[in-house]
Amino acid sequence: MAPEVYHIAQTPIIAHAFNADRSALAVSLNSNEAQILARSGKEWATIETLSEHDKVITSIDWAPNSNRIVTASQDRNAYVWQQTPDDTGKVIWKPTLVLLRINRAATHVRWSPNEDKFAVASGARAIAICSFDPENNWWVSKLLKKPIRSTVLSVDWHPNNVLLAAGSADSQARVFSAYIKEVDSKPAATVWGSKLPFNTICSEYRSPAGGWVHGVAFSPSGDLLAFTSHDSSLNIVYPGSNVVHNVRMPSLPLVSLVWTTEDTIIAAGHDCQPFVFNGTEGGWQEAGTLDDQSGGASGGPARRGGLAARSGAFAAFQAADSRGLGGSSGSSGSGDTKLTTVHQNTITDVRIYDGAPGQVARVSTSGVDGSLAIWDVNAVSAITGRLGGMSMR
Amino acid sequence: MEVNFRKIDIDAFDEEVLRESDLYEEDPRGPAQALDEAKQKQTAVRSSLARNDIVGALSLVLDNPPYGPHVEEAKNISLQTLLTILNTTKSTEITNVVKSLSPDAQDTLMKYLYKGMGMPGWGDISGSVLLGWHEKLTEVAGTGCIVRTMTDRRTV
Repeated sequence: MAPEVYHIAQTPIIAHAFNADRSALAVSLNSNEAQILARSGKEWATIETLSEHDKVITSIDWAPNSNRIVTASQDRNAYVWQQTPDDTGKVIWKPTLVLLRINRAATHVRWSPNEDKFAVASGARAIAICSFDPENNWWVSKLLKKPIRSTVLSVDWHPNNVLLAAGSADSQARVFSAYIKEVDSKPAATVWGSKLPFNTICSEYRSPAGGWVHGVAFSPSGDLLAFTSHDSSLNIVYPGSNVVHNVRMPSLPLVSLVWTTEDTIIAAGHDCQPFVFNGTEGGWQEAGTLDDQSGGASGGPARRGGLAARSGAFAAFQAADSRGLGGSSGSSGSGDTKLTTVHQNTITDVRIYDGAPGQVARVSTSGVDGSLAIWDVNAVSAITGRLGGMSMR
Repeated sequence: MEVNFRKIDIDAFDEEVLRESDLYEEDPRGPAQALDEAKQKQTAVRSSLARNDIVGALSLVLDNPPYGPHVEEAKNISLQTLLTILNTTKSTEITNVVKSLSPDAQDTLMKYLYKGMGMPGWGDISGSVLLGWHEKLTEVAGTGCIVRTMTDRRTV
Protein backbone atom coordinates (compact mmCIF):
# COMPACT_ATOMS: atom_id res chain seq x y z
CA MET A 1 0.00 0.00 0.00
CA ALA A 2 1.36 3.35 -0.96
CA PRO A 3 1.87 5.80 1.89
CA GLU A 4 -0.38 8.81 2.39
CA VAL A 5 1.76 11.85 1.71
CA TYR A 6 0.93 15.43 2.67
CA HIS A 7 3.00 18.45 1.73
CA ILE A 8 2.55 20.58 4.80
CA ALA A 9 5.03 23.39 4.24
CA GLN A 10 8.00 24.68 2.29
CA THR A 11 9.99 24.75 5.52
CA PRO A 12 11.35 21.82 7.54
CA ILE A 13 9.00 20.06 9.95
CA ILE A 14 11.05 19.81 13.12
CA ALA A 15 8.52 17.76 15.06
CA HIS A 16 4.94 16.57 14.75
CA ALA A 17 2.29 15.10 17.05
CA PHE A 18 -1.27 13.92 16.38
CA ASN A 19 -4.21 14.16 18.76
CA ALA A 20 -5.96 11.04 20.05
CA ASP A 21 -8.39 10.50 17.14
CA ARG A 22 -5.85 11.73 14.52
CA SER A 23 -8.18 14.51 13.38
CA ALA A 24 -5.71 17.21 14.32
CA LEU A 25 -1.98 17.59 14.07
CA ALA A 26 0.51 19.88 15.80
CA VAL A 27 3.73 20.75 13.96
CA SER A 28 6.77 22.94 14.46
CA LEU A 29 7.74 24.42 11.11
CA ASN A 30 11.22 25.45 12.23
CA SER A 31 9.81 28.57 13.88
CA ASN A 32 8.82 29.85 17.31
CA GLU A 33 5.16 29.09 16.67
CA ALA A 34 3.45 25.73 16.69
CA GLN A 35 0.67 25.19 14.15
CA ILE A 36 -2.43 23.16 14.87
CA LEU A 37 -3.67 21.66 11.62
CA ALA A 38 -6.97 19.96 10.89
CA ARG A 39 -7.86 17.65 8.04
CA SER A 40 -9.79 19.44 5.34
CA GLY A 41 -10.47 17.06 2.48
CA LYS A 42 -7.20 15.66 1.29
CA GLU A 43 -5.03 18.34 2.85
CA TRP A 44 -4.21 19.71 6.27
CA ALA A 45 -5.07 23.34 7.04
CA THR A 46 -3.92 25.51 9.93
CA ILE A 47 -6.74 26.19 12.38
CA GLU A 48 -4.76 27.70 15.22
CA THR A 49 -1.28 29.00 15.97
CA LEU A 50 0.33 28.56 19.37
CA SER A 51 2.60 31.54 19.91
CA GLU A 52 4.33 32.05 23.21
CA HIS A 53 7.87 30.83 22.56
CA ASP A 54 10.65 33.22 21.48
CA LYS A 55 12.80 30.72 19.60
CA VAL A 56 12.43 27.60 17.45
CA ILE A 57 10.18 24.91 18.89
CA THR A 58 12.24 21.73 18.99
CA SER A 59 9.69 19.17 20.07
CA ILE A 60 5.94 18.69 20.54
CA ASP A 61 3.92 16.01 22.27
CA TRP A 62 0.13 15.67 22.45
CA ALA A 63 -1.31 13.71 25.39
CA PRO A 64 -4.09 11.51 23.96
CA ASN A 65 -6.32 11.20 27.04
CA SER A 66 -6.01 14.58 28.75
CA ASN A 67 -5.81 16.36 25.36
CA ARG A 68 -2.93 18.61 26.43
CA ILE A 69 -0.05 19.67 24.22
CA VAL A 70 3.44 20.30 25.52
CA THR A 71 6.01 22.23 23.48
CA ALA A 72 9.74 22.62 24.13
CA SER A 73 11.89 25.29 22.56
CA GLN A 74 15.39 26.65 22.13
CA ASP A 75 14.29 29.59 24.29
CA ARG A 76 14.83 27.26 27.33
CA ASN A 77 11.11 27.11 28.06
CA ALA A 78 8.32 24.62 27.78
CA TYR A 79 4.58 25.33 27.81
CA VAL A 80 1.63 23.08 28.43
CA TRP A 81 -1.36 24.04 26.25
CA GLN A 82 -4.89 23.27 27.24
CA GLN A 83 -8.20 24.05 25.52
CA THR A 84 -10.01 26.64 27.64
CA PRO A 85 -12.85 29.07 26.87
CA ASP A 86 -11.65 32.69 26.70
CA ASP A 87 -13.65 35.80 27.82
CA THR A 88 -15.97 35.61 24.85
CA GLY A 89 -16.62 31.92 25.36
CA LYS A 90 -14.54 30.85 22.37
CA VAL A 91 -12.38 27.79 23.04
CA ILE A 92 -8.69 28.52 22.59
CA TRP A 93 -5.41 26.78 23.43
CA LYS A 94 -4.13 28.45 26.59
CA PRO A 95 -0.49 28.08 27.71
CA THR A 96 0.64 27.25 31.24
CA LEU A 97 4.18 28.07 32.30
CA VAL A 98 6.67 25.33 33.12
CA LEU A 99 9.52 26.17 35.50
CA LEU A 100 12.28 24.28 33.72
CA ARG A 101 15.34 25.82 35.42
CA ILE A 102 17.68 25.02 32.53
CA ASN A 103 20.14 27.44 30.96
CA ARG A 104 20.36 25.88 27.51
CA ALA A 105 17.86 24.94 24.79
CA ALA A 106 15.20 22.35 25.46
CA THR A 107 15.63 19.65 22.81
CA HIS A 108 12.94 17.01 23.26
CA VAL A 109 9.75 16.51 25.26
CA ARG A 110 7.50 13.53 25.96
CA TRP A 111 4.43 12.99 28.17
CA SER A 112 4.61 10.05 30.56
CA PRO A 113 2.15 7.20 29.84
CA ASN A 114 -0.19 8.34 32.65
CA GLU A 115 0.06 11.95 31.39
CA ASP A 116 0.66 13.26 34.92
CA LYS A 117 4.25 14.33 34.20
CA PHE A 118 6.57 14.92 31.26
CA ALA A 119 10.29 14.87 30.58
CA VAL A 120 12.17 17.70 28.85
CA ALA A 121 15.63 16.92 27.47
CA SER A 122 18.02 19.83 27.20
CA GLY A 123 21.41 21.14 26.20
CA ALA A 124 22.11 21.95 29.85
CA ARG A 125 23.19 18.30 30.24
CA ALA A 126 20.06 17.70 32.24
CA ILE A 127 16.56 16.31 31.89
CA ALA A 128 13.72 18.14 33.61
CA ILE A 129 10.97 15.90 34.97
CA CYS A 130 7.91 18.12 35.31
CA SER A 131 4.79 17.60 37.37
CA PHE A 132 1.84 19.89 38.07
CA ASP A 133 1.70 22.02 41.20
CA PRO A 134 -2.01 22.90 41.67
CA GLU A 135 -1.31 25.46 44.43
CA ASN A 136 0.54 27.79 42.09
CA ASN A 137 -1.07 26.63 38.86
CA TRP A 138 2.21 25.89 37.12
CA TRP A 139 4.42 22.93 36.31
CA VAL A 140 7.48 22.41 38.50
CA SER A 141 10.51 20.38 37.55
CA LYS A 142 13.11 18.17 39.14
CA LEU A 143 16.36 17.79 37.25
CA LEU A 144 18.08 14.55 36.32
CA LYS A 145 21.72 15.63 36.01
CA LYS A 146 24.26 13.00 36.90
CA PRO A 147 26.08 11.51 35.08
CA ILE A 148 25.03 13.23 31.84
CA ARG A 149 28.09 14.73 30.15
CA SER A 150 26.54 16.50 27.18
CA THR A 151 23.32 17.58 25.49
CA VAL A 152 20.43 15.16 25.84
CA LEU A 153 18.88 14.63 22.41
CA SER A 154 15.92 12.37 23.12
CA VAL A 155 13.85 10.78 25.88
CA ASP A 156 11.34 7.94 26.04
CA TRP A 157 9.13 6.72 28.89
CA HIS A 158 8.86 3.16 30.15
CA PRO A 159 5.22 1.94 30.30
CA ASN A 160 5.43 1.93 34.13
CA ASN A 161 5.46 5.76 34.18
CA VAL A 162 8.65 5.83 36.30
CA LEU A 163 11.62 4.78 34.19
CA LEU A 164 12.96 7.10 31.51
CA ALA A 165 15.44 6.37 28.71
CA ALA A 166 17.62 9.20 27.44
CA GLY A 167 20.03 9.45 24.53
CA SER A 168 22.82 11.96 24.76
CA ALA A 169 25.54 13.59 22.65
CA ASP A 170 28.14 12.08 25.00
CA SER A 171 27.41 8.93 22.95
CA GLN A 172 25.59 7.15 25.76
CA ALA A 173 22.05 5.91 26.18
CA ARG A 174 20.91 5.70 29.78
CA VAL A 175 17.95 4.45 31.77
CA PHE A 176 17.01 6.64 34.75
CA SER A 177 14.40 6.54 37.42
CA ALA A 178 12.15 9.59 37.17
CA TYR A 179 10.13 8.69 40.24
CA ILE A 180 8.23 11.66 41.70
CA LYS A 181 6.88 11.09 45.18
CA GLU A 182 3.84 13.35 44.75
CA VAL A 183 2.70 11.66 41.54
CA ASP A 184 3.82 8.05 41.42
CA SER A 185 2.88 5.08 43.52
CA LYS A 186 5.72 2.73 44.31
CA PRO A 187 6.66 0.93 41.05
CA ALA A 188 6.88 -2.85 40.81
CA ALA A 189 10.31 -4.32 40.12
CA THR A 190 11.30 -4.53 36.44
CA VAL A 191 14.25 -5.95 34.56
CA TRP A 192 15.85 -2.54 35.01
CA GLY A 193 15.86 -2.68 38.81
CA SER A 194 13.67 -2.79 41.90
CA LYS A 195 14.61 0.10 44.20
CA LEU A 196 14.09 3.24 42.18
CA PRO A 197 14.46 6.58 43.99
CA PHE A 198 14.70 9.67 41.75
CA ASN A 199 17.85 9.84 39.60
CA THR A 200 18.79 6.17 40.03
CA ILE A 201 20.91 5.21 37.02
CA CYS A 202 19.64 1.80 36.03
CA SER A 203 22.04 1.28 33.14
CA GLU A 204 24.32 3.03 30.66
CA TYR A 205 25.20 1.93 27.13
CA ARG A 206 27.79 3.47 24.85
CA SER A 207 27.27 3.53 21.10
CA PRO A 208 29.89 1.23 19.56
CA ALA A 209 31.68 3.72 17.34
CA GLY A 210 31.11 6.70 19.58
CA GLY A 211 28.27 8.40 17.71
CA TRP A 212 25.84 10.76 19.45
CA VAL A 213 22.71 8.93 20.47
CA HIS A 214 19.91 10.46 18.37
CA GLY A 215 16.89 8.41 19.39
CA VAL A 216 15.91 6.05 22.19
CA ALA A 217 12.84 3.87 22.65
CA PHE A 218 11.63 1.23 25.08
CA SER A 219 9.99 -1.82 23.55
CA PRO A 220 6.20 -2.10 24.10
CA SER A 221 6.72 -4.30 27.17
CA GLY A 222 9.42 -1.97 28.47
CA ASP A 223 11.83 -4.88 28.85
CA LEU A 224 14.08 -3.93 25.93
CA LEU A 225 15.70 -0.68 24.86
CA ALA A 226 16.73 0.41 21.39
CA PHE A 227 18.78 3.42 20.39
CA THR A 228 20.07 4.86 17.13
CA SER A 229 23.35 6.70 16.97
CA HIS A 230 25.29 8.88 14.58
CA ASP A 231 27.69 6.05 13.76
CA SER A 232 24.93 4.75 11.43
CA SER A 233 23.87 1.98 13.72
CA LEU A 234 20.88 0.70 15.62
CA ASN A 235 21.49 -0.93 18.99
CA ILE A 236 19.09 -3.20 20.85
CA VAL A 237 19.66 -3.90 24.54
CA TYR A 238 18.57 -7.03 26.40
CA PRO A 239 19.10 -5.97 30.02
CA GLY A 240 18.36 -9.44 31.46
CA SER A 241 21.35 -11.05 29.81
CA ASN A 242 23.20 -7.76 29.25
CA VAL A 243 23.43 -8.44 25.52
CA VAL A 244 23.59 -5.47 23.14
CA HIS A 245 22.94 -6.17 19.47
CA ASN A 246 24.49 -3.71 17.05
CA VAL A 247 23.09 -3.42 13.53
CA ARG A 248 25.52 -1.51 11.34
CA MET A 249 23.92 0.35 8.47
CA PRO A 250 25.65 0.79 5.11
CA SER A 251 23.69 4.05 4.77
CA LEU A 252 23.45 7.35 6.63
CA PRO A 253 22.52 7.65 10.34
CA LEU A 254 19.04 7.10 11.74
CA VAL A 255 17.63 9.82 14.00
CA SER A 256 14.24 8.63 15.20
CA LEU A 257 12.69 5.24 15.91
CA VAL A 258 9.56 3.45 17.13
CA TRP A 259 8.85 -0.15 18.10
CA THR A 260 5.87 -1.53 16.19
CA THR A 261 5.86 -4.94 17.89
CA GLU A 262 8.07 -6.52 20.54
CA ASP A 263 10.41 -7.75 17.78
CA THR A 264 10.12 -5.05 15.10
CA ILE A 265 11.52 -1.52 14.97
CA ILE A 266 11.00 1.21 12.37
CA ALA A 267 13.71 3.84 12.23
CA ALA A 268 14.43 6.70 9.87
CA GLY A 269 16.78 9.60 9.47
CA HIS A 270 19.32 11.05 7.08
CA ASP A 271 18.68 8.38 4.45
CA CYS A 272 15.17 9.81 3.88
CA GLN A 273 13.29 6.51 4.18
CA PRO A 274 11.88 4.43 7.05
CA PHE A 275 13.84 1.21 7.54
CA VAL A 276 12.38 -1.88 9.18
CA PHE A 277 14.41 -4.04 11.54
CA ASN A 278 13.46 -7.28 13.22
CA GLY A 279 15.04 -9.82 15.47
CA THR A 280 15.09 -11.67 18.74
CA GLU A 281 17.60 -12.11 21.52
CA GLY A 282 19.56 -14.29 19.10
CA GLY A 283 20.21 -11.42 16.70
CA TRP A 284 18.80 -8.46 14.81
CA GLN A 285 18.90 -7.48 11.16
CA GLU A 286 17.58 -5.01 8.64
CA ALA A 287 14.38 -6.42 7.12
CA GLY A 288 13.73 -3.82 4.44
CA THR A 289 12.25 -0.40 3.87
CA LEU A 290 8.70 0.97 3.87
CA ASP A 291 9.57 3.15 0.87
CA ASP A 292 9.42 1.14 -2.34
CA GLN A 293 10.96 4.17 -4.12
CA SER A 294 8.30 4.43 -6.79
CA GLY A 295 6.78 7.58 -5.37
CA GLY A 296 9.63 10.04 -5.86
CA ALA A 297 11.14 11.10 -9.18
CA SER A 298 9.26 9.98 -12.24
CA GLY A 299 11.77 9.21 -14.93
CA GLY A 300 15.07 10.84 -15.68
CA PRO A 301 18.49 9.69 -14.57
CA ALA A 302 17.43 9.52 -10.94
CA ARG A 303 15.37 6.43 -11.66
CA ARG A 304 18.30 4.24 -12.60
CA GLY A 305 19.00 1.83 -9.71
CA GLY A 306 22.06 2.58 -7.78
CA LEU A 307 22.34 4.33 -4.50
CA ALA A 308 18.68 5.11 -4.40
CA ALA A 309 18.39 8.05 -2.09
CA ARG A 310 21.35 9.93 -3.44
CA SER A 311 21.41 8.84 -7.04
CA GLY A 312 19.48 11.92 -8.16
CA ALA A 313 22.13 14.37 -7.07
CA PHE A 314 24.82 11.86 -7.99
CA ALA A 315 23.46 11.47 -11.49
CA ALA A 316 23.27 15.24 -11.87
CA PHE A 317 26.94 15.62 -10.99
CA GLN A 318 27.88 12.66 -13.15
CA ALA A 319 26.06 14.19 -16.11
CA ALA A 320 27.81 17.49 -15.47
CA ASP A 321 31.13 15.67 -15.33
CA SER A 322 30.88 13.31 -18.28
CA ARG A 323 28.71 15.26 -20.71
CA GLY A 324 29.18 18.81 -19.56
CA LEU A 325 25.52 19.19 -18.68
CA GLY A 326 25.36 21.88 -16.06
CA GLY A 327 22.51 22.25 -13.63
CA SER A 328 22.68 26.04 -13.74
CA SER A 329 22.46 26.26 -17.52
CA GLY A 330 18.95 24.91 -17.31
CA SER A 331 19.63 21.96 -19.60
CA SER A 332 18.78 19.52 -16.82
CA GLY A 333 15.39 20.16 -15.29
CA SER A 334 14.53 20.26 -11.63
CA GLY A 335 13.43 16.61 -11.82
CA ASP A 336 17.06 15.57 -12.04
CA THR A 337 17.71 16.32 -8.42
CA LYS A 338 14.60 14.62 -7.12
CA LEU A 339 15.18 11.61 -4.89
CA THR A 340 13.40 8.34 -5.53
CA THR A 341 12.19 8.28 -1.94
CA VAL A 342 8.91 9.80 -0.71
CA HIS A 343 10.69 12.18 1.64
CA GLN A 344 13.03 14.45 -0.25
CA ASN A 345 15.22 15.19 2.75
CA THR A 346 16.10 13.95 6.23
CA ILE A 347 13.26 12.45 8.26
CA THR A 348 13.16 14.24 11.61
CA ASP A 349 10.49 12.37 13.53
CA VAL A 350 8.87 8.92 13.40
CA ARG A 351 5.73 8.38 15.50
CA ILE A 352 3.05 5.79 16.04
CA TYR A 353 -0.07 6.69 14.04
CA ASP A 354 -2.39 3.74 14.36
CA GLY A 355 -2.58 0.74 16.70
CA ALA A 356 -1.99 -0.12 20.33
CA PRO A 357 1.56 -0.42 21.65
CA GLY A 358 2.95 -3.73 20.44
CA GLN A 359 0.48 -3.97 17.53
CA VAL A 360 1.19 -0.82 15.59
CA ALA A 361 -0.40 -0.81 12.15
CA ARG A 362 0.72 2.57 10.79
CA VAL A 363 3.44 5.11 11.58
CA SER A 364 3.84 8.74 10.56
CA THR A 365 7.05 10.49 9.54
CA SER A 366 7.85 14.16 9.09
CA GLY A 367 10.85 15.56 7.30
CA VAL A 368 13.08 18.50 6.50
CA ASP A 369 11.34 18.56 3.10
CA GLY A 370 8.18 19.84 4.82
CA SER A 371 6.13 16.75 4.12
CA LEU A 372 4.37 14.28 6.34
CA ALA A 373 3.79 10.65 5.37
CA ILE A 374 1.70 7.89 6.92
CA TRP A 375 2.99 4.37 6.27
CA ASP A 376 1.50 0.91 6.57
CA VAL A 377 4.07 -0.98 8.66
CA ASN A 378 3.41 -4.25 6.83
CA ALA A 379 4.26 -2.87 3.40
CA VAL A 380 7.92 -3.79 3.66
CA SER A 381 9.93 -3.96 0.46
CA ALA A 382 13.45 -5.18 0.01
CA ILE A 383 16.27 -2.71 -0.22
CA THR A 384 17.55 -2.84 -3.77
CA GLY A 385 20.89 -1.96 -5.23
CA ARG A 386 22.01 0.01 -2.23
CA LEU A 387 24.94 -2.01 -0.96
CA GLY A 388 26.91 -2.08 -4.16
CA GLY A 389 25.16 0.87 -5.63
CA MET A 390 27.65 3.66 -5.55
CA SER A 391 29.54 2.51 -8.61
CA MET A 392 30.74 4.98 -11.18
CA ARG A 393 29.15 3.36 -14.22
CA MET B 1 45.15 47.57 30.68
CA GLU B 2 45.75 44.22 32.25
CA VAL B 3 45.10 41.57 29.57
CA ASN B 4 46.75 38.54 31.10
CA PHE B 5 43.38 37.26 32.22
CA ARG B 6 42.69 36.45 28.59
CA LYS B 7 45.27 33.70 28.73
CA ILE B 8 43.65 31.92 31.65
CA ASP B 9 42.36 28.50 30.70
CA ILE B 10 38.85 28.95 32.04
CA ASP B 11 37.96 25.35 31.25
CA ALA B 12 40.34 24.27 33.99
CA PHE B 13 38.05 25.96 36.50
CA ASP B 14 34.86 24.52 35.04
CA GLU B 15 33.79 21.46 36.97
CA GLU B 16 31.40 20.51 34.20
CA VAL B 17 33.89 20.62 31.33
CA LEU B 18 33.59 17.71 28.91
CA ARG B 19 36.82 15.73 28.78
CA GLU B 20 38.01 13.38 26.06
CA SER B 21 37.89 10.57 28.58
CA ASP B 22 34.13 11.12 28.97
CA LEU B 23 33.62 10.31 25.33
CA TYR B 24 35.61 7.13 24.85
CA GLU B 25 37.71 4.65 26.74
CA GLU B 26 41.42 5.02 26.14
CA ASP B 27 43.48 2.25 24.60
CA PRO B 28 43.99 -0.17 27.50
CA ARG B 29 47.50 -0.94 26.27
CA GLY B 30 50.19 1.47 27.33
CA PRO B 31 52.51 3.08 24.75
CA ALA B 32 55.21 0.40 25.21
CA GLN B 33 52.89 -2.56 24.83
CA ALA B 34 51.10 -1.02 21.85
CA LEU B 35 54.44 -0.38 20.16
CA ASP B 36 55.54 -3.94 20.83
CA GLU B 37 52.37 -5.36 19.32
CA ALA B 38 52.59 -3.09 16.30
CA LYS B 39 56.13 -4.31 15.62
CA GLN B 40 55.13 -7.94 15.98
CA LYS B 41 52.27 -7.39 13.56
CA GLN B 42 54.65 -5.77 11.11
CA THR B 43 56.75 -8.95 11.02
CA ALA B 44 53.70 -11.19 10.79
CA VAL B 45 52.30 -9.08 7.96
CA ARG B 46 55.57 -9.38 6.03
CA SER B 47 55.41 -13.16 6.15
CA SER B 48 51.72 -13.14 5.17
CA LEU B 49 52.54 -10.94 2.21
CA ALA B 50 55.37 -13.28 1.23
CA ARG B 51 52.73 -16.04 1.03
CA ASN B 52 50.58 -13.61 -0.98
CA ASP B 53 47.86 -13.78 1.72
CA ILE B 54 46.54 -10.22 1.48
CA VAL B 55 43.30 -10.79 3.41
CA GLY B 56 45.23 -12.44 6.23
CA ALA B 57 47.74 -9.59 6.32
CA LEU B 58 45.04 -6.92 6.35
CA SER B 59 42.99 -8.67 9.03
CA LEU B 60 46.12 -8.86 11.18
CA VAL B 61 46.88 -5.17 11.05
CA LEU B 62 43.22 -4.09 11.29
CA ASP B 63 42.49 -6.23 14.32
CA ASN B 64 42.63 -4.28 17.57
CA PRO B 65 44.70 -1.36 16.23
CA PRO B 66 46.35 1.14 18.59
CA TYR B 67 44.12 4.19 19.08
CA GLY B 68 43.78 7.37 21.11
CA PRO B 69 46.49 9.62 22.52
CA HIS B 70 49.93 8.55 23.84
CA VAL B 71 50.48 5.74 21.31
CA GLU B 72 51.70 7.82 18.36
CA GLU B 73 54.69 5.59 17.64
CA ALA B 74 52.61 2.43 17.48
CA LYS B 75 50.08 4.23 15.29
CA ASN B 76 52.77 5.25 12.82
CA ILE B 77 54.15 1.72 12.55
CA SER B 78 50.64 0.35 12.02
CA LEU B 79 49.98 2.88 9.27
CA GLN B 80 53.33 2.03 7.65
CA THR B 81 52.50 -1.68 7.79
CA LEU B 82 49.07 -1.09 6.30
CA LEU B 83 50.48 1.04 3.49
CA THR B 84 52.82 -1.79 2.45
CA ILE B 85 49.77 -4.01 2.02
CA LEU B 86 47.71 -1.41 0.19
CA ASN B 87 50.53 -0.49 -2.18
CA THR B 88 51.33 -4.10 -3.13
CA THR B 89 47.74 -5.20 -3.82
CA LYS B 90 46.70 -5.30 -7.47
CA SER B 91 43.80 -2.97 -8.11
CA THR B 92 41.73 -5.78 -9.63
CA GLU B 93 41.92 -7.75 -6.37
CA ILE B 94 40.81 -4.95 -4.06
CA THR B 95 37.05 -5.59 -4.22
CA ASN B 96 37.36 -9.25 -3.27
CA VAL B 97 39.82 -8.47 -0.50
CA VAL B 98 37.51 -5.83 0.97
CA LYS B 99 34.50 -8.16 0.78
CA SER B 100 36.25 -10.84 2.82
CA LEU B 101 37.06 -8.46 5.69
CA SER B 102 34.88 -8.39 8.83
CA PRO B 103 32.66 -5.30 9.31
CA ASP B 104 34.96 -4.16 12.13
CA ALA B 105 37.99 -4.47 9.88
CA GLN B 106 36.22 -2.56 7.11
CA ASP B 107 35.48 0.33 9.48
CA THR B 108 39.08 0.36 10.70
CA LEU B 109 40.41 0.26 7.15
CA MET B 110 38.32 3.33 6.34
CA LYS B 111 39.85 5.13 9.33
CA TYR B 112 43.35 4.40 8.04
CA LEU B 113 42.43 5.53 4.52
CA TYR B 114 41.26 8.89 5.86
CA LYS B 115 44.30 9.17 8.11
CA GLY B 116 46.51 8.49 5.10
CA MET B 117 44.72 11.05 2.97
CA GLY B 118 45.28 13.59 5.74
CA MET B 119 49.06 13.11 5.62
CA PRO B 120 50.10 13.61 2.00
CA GLY B 121 53.77 12.94 1.38
CA TRP B 122 54.27 10.95 4.58
CA GLY B 123 56.10 7.63 4.12
CA ASP B 124 54.86 5.63 1.13
CA ILE B 125 51.51 7.34 0.90
CA SER B 126 50.15 7.39 -2.61
CA GLY B 127 46.96 9.37 -3.08
CA SER B 128 45.79 7.37 -6.06
CA VAL B 129 46.19 4.05 -4.24
CA LEU B 130 44.24 5.33 -1.23
CA LEU B 131 41.49 6.70 -3.45
CA GLY B 132 41.27 3.38 -5.29
CA TRP B 133 40.78 1.51 -2.02
CA HIS B 134 38.35 4.16 -0.78
CA GLU B 135 36.16 3.75 -3.85
CA LYS B 136 36.05 -0.03 -3.59
CA LEU B 137 35.51 0.00 0.17
CA THR B 138 32.62 2.48 -0.12
CA GLU B 139 30.98 0.24 -2.73
CA VAL B 140 31.09 -2.67 -0.32
CA ALA B 141 30.54 -1.07 3.10
CA GLY B 142 28.44 1.94 2.09
CA THR B 143 28.47 5.52 3.25
CA GLY B 144 27.69 4.29 6.78
CA CYS B 145 31.30 3.15 6.98
CA ILE B 146 32.48 6.71 6.23
CA VAL B 147 30.09 8.13 8.85
CA ARG B 148 31.48 5.74 11.47
CA THR B 149 35.01 6.88 10.63
CA MET B 150 34.01 10.49 11.15
CA THR B 151 32.15 9.96 14.43
CA ASP B 152 34.56 7.57 16.11
CA ARG B 153 36.88 9.36 18.50
CA ARG B 154 39.12 6.33 18.84
CA THR B 155 41.34 7.63 16.06
CA VAL B 156 43.97 5.29 14.68
